[in-house]
This record gives sequence, C-alpha cells and structure tokens, in this order.
Amino acid sequence: MPRAIPEFYLHSRPGSGNLNFKLIGEQISADVSLAAGLIKTVNSPYFGCRSRCRSVHEALLMLGLDATSRAIAAISLRQAFPGSAHYERFWQASAQIAALSGWLAQTVRKAGLRADDAYTYGLFRDCGIVILLRRFPDYVKTLDRANHEAERAFTDIEIEALPTNHSVVGALLAQNWWLPEEICLAIRNHHDRSAIEHFESGLPAASRYLVAVSQTAEHILQHATAGSYTEEWQKLGPSCMRLLGIEDAALAELYDEGAALIRSSQ
Amino acid sequence: MPATPPDIDLTTGFLNRSGGVHAAARAVADAEAKGAALAVLWLDIDRFRQINESFGHVGGDHIIAQLATRLRLALRSDSVLVRMGSDEFVALIPSLQLPMATRIGVMLLAEIERPLAIDNLLMRPSASMGLAVLEAGEDALSLLERADRAMIEAKRRGGNQLIISGDERLTGRLGVQLAREELAIEADLHSALESGCLTLEYQPLVGIDGRIEAVEALMRCDLPGRRLLPGKFIPVAEKTGMIVRLGEWSLLQGAQFAARLRDEGVPTKVAINVSRAQLTSRNFAPALQAALICANVAPALIELEFTESLFLDLSDIVQANLRSTWLAEVGIAIDDFGYGYSSLSNLKDLPASKLKLDSSFIKVLPEDRRAYAVVKAMAMLGRELGMTVIAEGVETAAQQAAVEGAAVDAVQGFFHARPMPEEAMLAWLKERTTHAP
Repeated sequence: MPRAIPEFYLHSRPGSGNLNFKLIGEQISADVSLAAGLIKTVNSPYFGCRSRCRSVHEALLMLGLDATSRAIAAISLRQAFPGSAHYERFWQASAQIAALSGWLAQTVRKAGLRADDAYTYGLFRDCGIVILLRRFPDYVKTLDRANHEAERAFTDIEIEALPTNHSVVGALLAQNWWLPEEICLAIRNHHDRSAIEHFESGLPAASRYLVAVSQTAEHILQHATAGSYTEEWQKLGPSCMRLLGIEDAALAELYDEGAALIRSSQ
Repeated sequence: MPATPPDIDLTTGFLNRSGGVHAAARAVADAEAKGAALAVLWLDIDRFRQINESFGHVGGDHIIAQLATRLRLALRSDSVLVRMGSDEFVALIPSLQLPMATRIGVMLLAEIERPLAIDNLLMRPSASMGLAVLEAGEDALSLLERADRAMIEAKRRGGNQLIISGDERLTGRLGVQLAREELAIEADLHSALESGCLTLEYQPLVGIDGRIEAVEALMRCDLPGRRLLPGKFIPVAEKTGMIVRLGEWSLLQGAQFAARLRDEGVPTKVAINVSRAQLTSRNFAPALQAALICANVAPALIELEFTESLFLDLSDIVQANLRSTWLAEVGIAIDDFGYGYSSLSNLKDLPASKLKLDSSFIKVLPEDRRAYAVVKAMAMLGRELGMTVIAEGVETAAQQAAVEGAAVDAVQGFFHARPMPEEAMLAWLKERTTHAP
C-alpha cells in the first residue's frame, strides 16, 4: 500500500479538523493509485455528481473532505497497484510529469486543452507500466530496450516481448476509472507518431494536445534532471512542437522555466 | 439581379446561406419554367471541427478558401455556389440530370481529396456529399432538404462518399426522428462511459447435471432516472464504432468479476460478448491480454462469445484474432447459433468449445416438433464437433424438459435465473455451492 495513504487518512478522517485542501490534494495527487481511486469513486454513480470529475482538485471540491476521506478509506482497501519502494521513482516521475504538463498546458494555450486534464493525463499516462512490471519480471529489460530504440515505436518493442503493451493496458484502466474519453484515447496513442502528427488519424485534437504536452513535459523534466534519458523525444519531439506551436527558442525558455518549477517543488 | 454584398461570404466569394436559399428558389423557378433539370449537391467537409481545433479558425478559413477555389474551378460557370455553413457548401447546377450529376459529384469528391498543405503539414481533406435532382412540383426548400439529408447519411456512413437522395437507409419524417434518437443515444453512451452509468449484469448457464457452466456478462446502461435498453444502444454503438470501447470495457469488468468469483471461493467462467468491430481490430489481442493481466485472472476463467454472423467473413485479421484467443487458452463460444446465416463449413473450422443455440428455436418448444427436431440435430452436431451445447432462452419447465430430451448439455434462461447484478450473482453462486449435493 502506498505510504501516502495512512498518513493522509490520519490527517483527514471525518471530524479530524484538518481542512488543508491544498495539502491534501497534493498528497493524493502524488500517489497515482490514490488519485485513480478517488477520481473513479467520484465519477461512480454513487456520488451522484452531475458533471464528471477530471482531477483530484475537482474531486475534493465535489466531495468535500469528509466524503473524500471516506472514499479514500474504501480505496485504500482496494489498491489497484503495488506501492513498494521499487516503484517509488516511477510514482515520483509521474507526479512531476503531471505537474509540468498542467503548467505547460496553461502556457501553450490551445483550444480544447485543459490544464486539469493535462495533469490527470500525466498521472495516468504510464500506469500500464506498473501493471506489466508486476506481471512480467523481465519487463524491465523490455522497457530498457524500448527506451533506447531510435527508430521503431516504443510499443512495437513491447509487443515483440509481451502479448500486449502499456498503452493498451493504461487505456483499459483509464476507462475502468471512467476517465474522460480524450484522456483514454491519449493514453492509448501516446507512442504513435502518426496519431499525433495527422489529424486524419481520427484522434481528437484534445487527445493529440495531451500527448504532445506530456511528452514535452517529460522532455523538460529529463533536460532539467539529466536523468533517465529516452529516445522518445527524438522520435516524437518535432511532431509535438509543431502541434503545440513551440519554436526552438521558446523551448529553450521552457527548459529554464520548467527547471525553476521543478526546483521549487523539491 | 446580382447578389448584394450582404449575400456574399467573404472567405469564399460564394453566396452565403440566405443568398443561397433565394438563389435556389430562383433556380427552381427557372428550371420549372423551362422544363429543365436542376441538380443540388450538398457538401460537408469531414472532421472540420478537428481541423479548426488543430489549425485555429484562421487556418480553418484558409482551408475553406482553398477548397472553395477547387469547387469553382471544377464546375461549369452557370453553377451557383453557396457556403451554407462553416464547413458546408451547396452547388446548384442547372440542366443536369441524375447520371451526369452523380459523375460530377464523384469528380468533386476526388477534387476535394487532393492533398492540401498547411503549416508544413500535408492534410488530406474529404467531404460527405448528398445529391438531389429536382422532382416535378417540388419547391426549393424541399430540394435542399433532400440533398442535406442525403449528405447526413453520407456522413453517417463514415464520410468521403456521395449519397443520392432516396438511397438513405432512413427516409421521410420517421427517418429524421430515428436519426435524432440515434444521436441522442450516442450522446448518452459517451456520457455513460465517463460517468459510471455502465454496468454488467450476469446470467448463469446451468448444466443439465446442475453444475454451473459459466455466467454471461450482459451490458446495462442506467442513466439517471432511466435505463437505456441494450436493444437500443448496442446497434447505435455498432454503427458509431463505440462498440469497441464498450466491448473493451466489458472485457476488463468481466475479467475482474471472474477474479472476484475465484477469490470468493466460487471460481466460475465469465462469458463476455465480443462485437465484429472488436474482432476485426488489430488491437483485439493486446486488449484481451491487457484485460487478463489487469484483472490478474487465468484465461481458463474467461470465455468470449461471438455471434455466428461474425464468422461469415473469415478475413485474415479475424482468423488471426481467433487464433490468438485460442492460443491464449481463452474459451470461444458461438452465440445465437442457427439464427441467420449458419455456415457449417465455417463452423467445422472454428476453434470454438461451446455452441449456444438461438432462443428462437427454444421459445416455440415443446409444441413445435419441427423446432425440436432442429434443436436435437444441432445438439448432436455440436457434440460431434466436441463442443458443449447450450440452449438459450429456456423459460419454462416444459422447455427445460424438451431441451433435456434433445440432449443439450446446459441451459440459460429465466427458468433458472434472470440476469442479476454482480453482488446478487455472487450470492446466488455461493448459495448454490453451499447447497450443492
């Protein structure tokens, strides 16, 4: 069970008097499984919300703290993911990419692209990886090969070694959590260059923006931390920049602003 | 009289909507006075909303202007061109009979399809087109409406095609109402997929010897205050392609229920329906495997039900998907067998382990002896092919006795249990296990 849960639950039990929405929202958002569970819960018919909730923040606002803590209690019993230290780096990277994606969505301003969606999408984009890591011990090696593949799509490398790939797994999970359609489609297609590049692919514009924003966010994170370098930006970067209307000079500025954001969050 | 500037669309130089409606009235009056023909082509650019979102409205206008130029150059100078809406054009072409109008329509589709460069991207636009030719005594609005309706049908069929008025699947006022109802259902389905209004109910398949063969997952859509019936929403989902998402959602939900039944000590196969759109998709096998992995369930606890109509066209992709299902050791059942086009040659080649006889044969039992003979023969056929044979739709004790007489292996229907929600199904299975002899 992820460490954030007992701590969060302790601080936000009904009647505990702790009303720090921002802190609690951050704690939940830092934990993919908890965020997943909360959004799924709020979007389930039991809560009777008329509009669907797209982010942890909205979930908190819709439910209120007491209901949230009840939801969290239920979720903590049905954790979808393992939360051992082995996955800690993965959660951390997902949370950082999510935060940078939200910021970037606000910066590039595209019709149909919501910062909340970009944030949520960043949290869930690679959740399929965790499932595959748990199921296939050798998946780490496949991931390594896929990350360093310069030509072919990431998911093509996965499908050589496995009966499925993390995009399909992630998209199925996202549907299971009742996430918005454009987020599910973005997860499913996030390694598909032609889907990003060509609107004829049938992928909604909002989904293509989500893919481009989080890919750029990941690149900014890798640039800032000089860590876990992958070939994805070489393959997808030019398409993402074209779609988002980012020139080389603007990217250099984004490196600086992103690095400052990352530093301030540490 | 020349059109006054307010009637002109500035982006294209064509008449705007109000100018177009007046021009249509004049063209109809002219044609009727001369006893000449008049053809109306109504074009709608496919996926224009996406174009606008991708390139902004300025980019969208640029594309519209280029497409308008193509139309103007392709058509005779006596044609009247109208921009009816942001991405809709109408061409009024005098003295044009249906055969030539059809050829011109197809030529225009090809013109529009030529690649178009914008922002360093090469896009391939396409259009949906409706064609109507003036009928005796018809007024302009009726003519335009027929062309519009044909265009909507072209769009509904996937776009990039020409539909001639009268060839729509749904015609007349009833057709319009049905089309509206379908649109409403489509919107409901989108909302259900994002708001948790979809659920699965389960109905058991009970062996003649009393053991539980499987439980079949049946999709339900409960919107606030009302239930959308599967007979209404499944056909719409199939037409719109949403059936793939619904089907994949069912796969994971059903697999999760199978895992739960196993964990609760009542391991039972869960049968999940698969649509043609899924079976012809390259994503089918990865999605099936993803569902098994996410739910952490053994393939032996999952069975996929395909209606026999899926097997009429055993294309390479269908065969590959069936093979991968079989290799994954997921069970394959043939649903609704005997209804429609039963292909015995395909049946013998399919790696199915279960044959479900269509309820239309069962509901007329025991009185209809001919139906009984067919059921008995199908049961024997299935058994000889090594399949478990199920009678669907058994509702009465008399029908149960009849299908037992016909030597089926198991039955499904209200006689044993109605479809029930997950919790009730679990309790039902536990109850039977506790009281099993």
